[in-house]
Amino acid sequence: MAHVEMEQVSKSFGTATVIPPLDLSIRDGEFLVLVGPSGCGKTTTLRMLAGLETVSGGRIAIGGRDVTHARPGERDIAMVFQNYALYPHMTVRDNIGYAMRVHGTDRGTIDARVAEASRLLGLEPYLDRKPRNLSGGQRQRVAIGRALVRHPQVFLFDEPLSNLDAKLRVEMRTEIKLLQRRLGTTAVYVTHDQVEAMTMADRVVVMRAGVIEQAADPITLYERPANRFVANFIGSPAMNFLPARIERGAVHLVSQVLPLPPEEAARLRERGDVLFGIRPEHMRPSAHQASLTLEPRAIEPLGPHTLVLGDVGGHRVTAQVDPRFPVQVGQPCVVTVDMTQAHFFDPVTEARL
Amino acid sequence: MNSATARRDGIKHAFLWPAFLVVLLISLFPLIYALTVSFQTMRIVPPMPPRFVGVQNYAEILASARFWGSMWTTAVITVLSVVLEYILGFALALALHHNVPGASLYRVTFLLPMFLAPVGVALIARMVFHPYLGPVNDLMGALGVGNLPFLTEPNLAMAVLITVEVWQWTPFVTLLLLAGLQSLPGEVFEAARVDNVPVWRRFWDITFPMLLPLSVAVVFIRLIEGFKVIDTVFVLTGGGPGTSTETLTLFAYNEGFKKFNIGMTSALSFTFLVVVIVFGTVYLALAQRLTRRYA
Ligand SMILES: Nc1ncnc2c1ncn2[C@@H]1O[C@H](COP(=O)(O)OP(=O)(O)O)[C@@H](O)[C@H]1O
Ligand SMILES: [Mg+2]
Repeated sequence: MAHVEMEQVSKSFGTATVIPPLDLSIRDGEFLVLVGPSGCGKTTTLRMLAGLETVSGGRIAIGGRDVTHARPGERDIAMVFQNYALYPHMTVRDNIGYAMRVHGTDRGTIDARVAEASRLLGLEPYLDRKPRNLSGGQRQRVAIGRALVRHPQVFLFDEPLSNLDAKLRVEMRTEIKLLQRRLGTTAVYVTHDQVEAMTMADRVVVMRAGVIEQAADPITLYERPANRFVANFIGSPAMNFLPARIERGAVHLVSQVLPLPPEEAARLRERGDVLFGIRPEHMRPSAHQASLTLEPRAIEPLGPHTLVLGDVGGHRVTAQVDPRFPVQVGQPCVVTVDMTQAHFFDPVTEARL
Repeated sequence: MNSATARRDGIKHAFLWPAFLVVLLISLFPLIYALTVSFQTMRIVPPMPPRFVGVQNYAEILASARFWGSMWTTAVITVLSVVLEYILGFALALALHHNVPGASLYRVTFLLPMFLAPVGVALIARMVFHPYLGPVNDLMGALGVGNLPFLTEPNLAMAVLITVEVWQWTPFVTLLLLAGLQSLPGEVFEAARVDNVPVWRRFWDITFPMLLPLSVAVVFIRLIEGFKVIDTVFVLTGGGPGTSTETLTLFAYNEGFKKFNIGMTSALSFTFLVVVIVFGTVYLALAQRLTRRYA
């Protein structure tokens, strides 16, 4: 059953349409991540769900109840903000318990829930501190604690980790994910970081300019991106794109020929113009491999593997190779391409072929 | 220390002393001079040679009913007007901050009273509250209350003085509190909205405590300024009827420029200084207790 339902929801600020009508339904207990470049309307979508922003059109339902015009407080949601939004003059304990106190929850229940949340989040040593005496990671934990003690129907997160340093970010994303699993509460999580999206989500929604480009589980998104934008956005380093032709069961780049596996060749048949896409990490041997000659421009050793930044017929190509792969800047080199992992897109519509 | 550094060290005196002497001359000298004068009798009319009398001036002041009366008047005017200014100012700042309908119109004009000279304000108020010609009494007449002796009945005169103070200085409080409100982090209030905290609780539990340090400062400034009130009183009531609205500063002025009793005036000024310091210290101590509860 769909737990959160957005039907034809749209948003304009004045004459600028930020979100054209958008449909999205979220299952009960699902961890859904909205991802996309900065300014694509992720925050706006989340804030409409929270009721902090009015909708310009459409309908929102949470748990089967129409909340399109309900106040944020009536929606039974909890939100974690990017800048923590803690009450600066209250201790950690009061921050977590404040909403319950306002709603007249009895003392015992408040204490029990605050204790439970602080145990879960490792906040016990800090309960009597003020937010300004906490580190960024601890503050964000308090914000999460404040959200989860309310036992809401839905958690909303707006880039909660982007103010933390890289190491802490990795730790916290696992923590949040595990916590959500344990509680089984539906969660909508906004981020611009595709790694965060891929690692945390049950389902990722990739947005561009207010439009959903693809909504799928992380593996599908990686293996079968619906279009060039998604293919380019998901994966790091990004996928290489080269204009090509498909003739006689092979991909023809300017003067190079890369044979396709037979079933792919049969599916695609002959095509004049296509965009050939291959991820750097798929430049590896396989049952259906081909050779690609490129002109190395720079070499970036990363340790476990090395990135070769090169050029094929005037197009930039990144290849991920073994650290011991013999390559020198300026001397053409031949890399192996796993043709079972090749992607093809229509050059005009950019849709997957 | 070798001789070169010793010489360089000596240069510090060349930099320090001129500045120190200038400060001494222009700010401390008048104070010290006034303090010595306050221990003497010094009359200009009729001329009398200065004579050292010790603390006699101070003793006279403390024994005078007129002094205690002016002290009470000053305290009442200051405390009541500052309380009203703070409440009204906060309400207006909130209205402006939340763009209540009509706020934009008010936004353009609300600072005007603050820009007017207090004497000008007092002259306007004198006309407005004029017993026969003023519009307020026209209104009272229309309401069937009849003419009220606004400036000649002690309680009414105090009320008028407080009204004028509030009218002139509420914008100042509004301005500072509005700036404070606009600097508060918006996400905190959104978090409270999501947590279904009602408006009234949001104000008392979040807005008010977060603005408390600023409020303490604003009220402090207004208290100290309010204590010095003289111009409006001088123009509106001249301290009357009798001495019922005479403030400390006006009392000192009358001693100095009506009786030309310079020694007494100096002693009064110093008493006034002590009163302000005591008042301010007590206030700050109380305020600190309050803020420590929150901050
Ligand atoms: N209050 C607003 N008024 C006008 N434009 C806005 C407002 N809020 C957001 N926008 C615009 O809407 C677009 C999407 O913003 P946002 O949802 O914050 O993007 P994201 O969170 O994906 O970075 C941006 O182009 C932004 O400039
Ligand atoms: Mg955003």
